[in-house]
Amino acid sequence: MQGAEILLQPGVLPRLLQGLWVTVWIAATSVIVSVPVGLLVGWLMTLKNPVVRVLMRIYLDFIRIMPQLALLFLAYYGFARWFDWNLDATGACVLVFILWGGAELGDLVRGALQSIPEIQSESAYVLGLSNWQSFVHVILPQALRRLLPASVNLATRIVKTTSLAVLLGVVEVIKVGQQIIDANRFQYPDGTLWVYGVIFFMYFIVCWPLSIVARRLEKRWAND
Amino acid sequence: MTETTDIAVATAANGAASANSAALSVRNLTKQYANAGRRVLDDVSFDVPKGRVLVVVGPSGSGKSTLLRTIAGLEPIQGGEIALEGKVIETGKPGTEKAGRSARSSELRTHIGMVFQSYELFPNKTVLGNIMMAPLLVQKRDKAEVEREALELLGKVGLADRKDSWPHELSGGQRQRIAICRALILHPEVLLLDEITAALDPEMVREVLDVVIGLARAGQTMIIVTHEMRFARAVADEIILLEDGHIVEHSNDPERFFTEPETDRARRFLRTFEFERAPHDQQ
Repeated sequence: MQGAEILLQPGVLPRLLQGLWVTVWIAATSVIVSVPVGLLVGWLMTLKNPVVRVLMRIYLDFIRIMPQLALLFLAYYGFARWFDWNLDATGACVLVFILWGGAELGDLVRGALQSIPEIQSESAYVLGLSNWQSFVHVILPQALRRLLPASVNLATRIVKTTSLAVLLGVVEVIKVGQQIIDANRFQYPDGTLWVYGVIFFMYFIVCWPLSIVARRLEKRWAND
Repeated sequence: MTETTDIAVATAANGAASANSAALSVRNLTKQYANAGRRVLDDVSFDVPKGRVLVVVGPSGSGKSTLLRTIAGLEPIQGGEIALEGKVIETGKPGTEKAGRSARSSELRTHIGMVFQSYELFPNKTVLGNIMMAPLLVQKRDKAEVEREALELLGKVGLADRKDSWPHELSGGQRQRIAICRALILHPEVLLLDEITAALDPEMVREVLDVVIGLARAGQTMIIVTHEMRFARAVADEIILLEDGHIVEHSNDPERFFTEPETDRARRFLRTFEFERAPHDQQ
């Protein structure tokens, strides 16, 4: 238990919780805004227009090939230099995670939409439904069921990847942990593992419910 | 057979009242797929009078299902025309092989119902949701009235207790009966049935065919594509043998078609089903 006392120092847990809040805020904002972006991108990817398809392909490949860290630096330093747009570190993180989440989710949406058999939309057509009604009432609800488990996993990845924000100087939970460790290095030299243990537990508490939701949904809709 | 009688009462007004006039006319219909060497349907013509049942039989790949799909507007046609109650709803245009579905209006589409081999219920809707969707969204009918009619139809096909079930909870035969109810609630002038028992276990075939026989007796105009010759014989007012996209034989006397077909091709075709007829005839 050597070093565990660091956690009982005044202000340590509240500061870690404040850091966790920053992490959750960046992740939640990114995930929530990624949803409409992903739906739009996914729909655009299913269009037959070759120009739109190529543009979407470039967007997806660019986001996938570039390391997230490089994207973060591009957004943080590049936007200020090229467009005179001074994004703060948190804003740059949110923007990158939205672009990343939107692209990844878009690809999931595309896959889910294309996995719905054509005959389902034919069935809606012969019943007289318009293309829009068919999309909204028949195709999209089925596609959402198929893509929800995978998109919950994507949300979990976004939560974990927010830890990169520390490299832009965002004081999120990892950064707070580092500050606490640094401040107590001589008093509690063995406190490092305890602090990171608590951080691990905090990430687990945020991500675990998402995993459970994904697993439950997968089970529930397995028969559809 | 109570179910069939009930269905008969339900749809009587729709059919027999106006026999003789053509509900659907197909004239010189030609259909070709992109990059395909031959025509899938070539100069096909026939009328389906109101209240009559036309059964289309033929070997696999003869164009039977494609014929129904063109009538439903799912496939563009390259020649000829299709008329519903005297009004032309589709005219063939050369060079449209790659075109999508017909641009006919939503309202017009509700006049021609279609039931698929694989049911194609919407898995995100309950039984009642499936049946009520089109009348509410397309025909903008009153919800209470639609629900009442949906429950009536479900009762008639023996599935009133499954109204809140999800499609995956039902057997194939039950799903197919729901698909028939979903088409019927729109009161289509013509109902197209595309091999509706092909995906069913033998014991489920009967329950679906009873419903269709009931509809036929009630005077619902139908075009039925089937491989079930006993069923075809029981339900047909007219029968067409299709092969390689051509009508080989068109008979207004199905009984005669099955016993003394006019063409050698029909004789050979029917001979392949003799094993199927034998045990039935012994019953």
